[in-house]
Amino acid sequence: MKLYDYILSPSCYKVRLMAALTGVKLELRPVDFHPGLEHRGLALLALNPAGSIPIIEDGDLILTESSAILVYLAAQAAPEWLAGTKPEEAARVQQWLSFSGRLTANLGGARLHEMLLRTGDIDALQAQGIAALRELEAGLVEQNLRGQRFLAADRPTVADIACFPYVALAPDGGVSLDPYPAIRLWSRALRSLHGFVEMPGIHRLHELKPEPTVEESKA
Amino acid sequence: MHTLTTGPWTPVALSADLPVGTVIPARIPAGSIALWRSESGRLSASADRCPHRGMSLSHGFVRGENLSCIYHGWSYARSGKCVRIPAHPGLEPPEAIRAKTFAVEEAGGVIWVATDEAATTPPVLEGLMPLRSMTTSAGIAAIEAAAGAKATAEGLVVPAENADTLCLLLSARDDGQTLIHVLLKGETTADSRIAASRVAESLRRAAEDLQKKGIAA
Ligand SMILES: N[C@H](CCC(=O)N[C@@H](CS)C(=O)NCC(=O)O)C(=O)O
Ligand code: FES
Repeated sequence: MKLYDYILSPSCYKVRLMAALTGVKLELRPVDFHPGLEHRGLALLALNPAGSIPIIEDGDLILTESSAILVYLAAQAAPEWLAGTKPEEAARVQQWLSFSGRLTANLGGARLHEMLLRTGDIDALQAQGIAALRELEAGLVEQNLRGQRFLAADRPTVADIACFPYVALAPDGGVSLDPYPAIRLWSRALRSLHGFVEMPGIHRLHELKPEPTVEESKA
Repeated sequence: MHTLTTGPWTPVALSADLPVGTVIPARIPAGSIALWRSESGRLSASADRCPHRGMSLSHGFVRGENLSCIYHGWSYARSGKCVRIPAHPGLEPPEAIRAKTFAVEEAGGVIWVATDEAATTPPVLEGLMPLRSMTTSAGIAAIEAAAGAKATAEGLVVPAENADTLCLLLSARDDGQTLIHVLLKGETTADSRIAASRVAESLRRAAEDLQKKGIAA
């Protein structure tokens, strides 16, 4: 299974993270997203006319929407990451998968504006990003009150992975995460999952890493 | 201008939002702080500035009984004293390397930090159970207007329409934002707590509307 990938893309990171958590092996095909704009060239437009990444190619199956890709990986290797049979849980997974598209637009848009100097109304993007973070925070507070630590259940699902990267990288777009205690705890829970992988700007919990030691230099 | 008289004490966070072995950013009138809880559960508050190169200590991490800076790993004890410099493992860090610390108290599920060395204790909130904290870009006057009720000297507002169930503990910040701790009265169920959280969201929205329109100014 081949992933057209860009290391700094939060949407591609969703796929790498899901694959790592579920033990799926990906063949990575780096895309020169910036400055090359390779994703808008003829070769990649042939795979994804929308001109975005990630793209997954598996035999004759081509997937260009990260939420669909997460479902594909989970369904193959780790169905416990999908919704169970409860109607509420199934609906919540879909609710947050759809919501994740809004995060790509607002927090992702703010980040592209700040990091790659893309045009856009930064004030509006940040305001929409804050509104989305408040919605996520309220959703997580309610889940905690139901005794569930993640967005759709008391276990992580594809919905959590779909929402996590753009939220964790919100500060790159000038949007602070300080005001959201429930998001902070949720992010910690995700970052401490077995098999979690990092991307630039999103780190594993440092306290779970071994204490660094340096040999005193001998003069 | 509203002066809330909680003395030197600021309600900075809810206990439940700071599990053992974690650090979070918070604010008091003296500035930004790193609020952390050690593995054994002891609370500390220090200025959010590493004495080494000024990195935010709230970006750091807790290991055992110490707070480590994310940048070069200098570690600080509860007292603020630097106890470890990873690049010089054999060196006992000099006494002079200290992060500034503040008094911190925890009562009824709320964490309070004092601006100066406080001899007093924070206000006691009888019969209130913390639900969640939220930040709003509305000031105290706008929140009072939205709630249809005045704040007490401790910063407690009992919203007129939810007087039997809800109480807001307000803390004005120097950046014009207000930290709201949503507290619940009496017996509650999971359903009533979820309902209360939604009421608080609506109150915040109403307060920010009023703030924008300048009605509360
Ligand atoms: N199809 C959406 C698109 C994801 C997306 O927006 N990807 C960004 C990179 S992070 C992109 O390719 N943007 C195209 C561009 O900015 O030129 C998904 O898979 O979630
Ligand atoms: S800035 Fe904190 S250890 Fe260097």
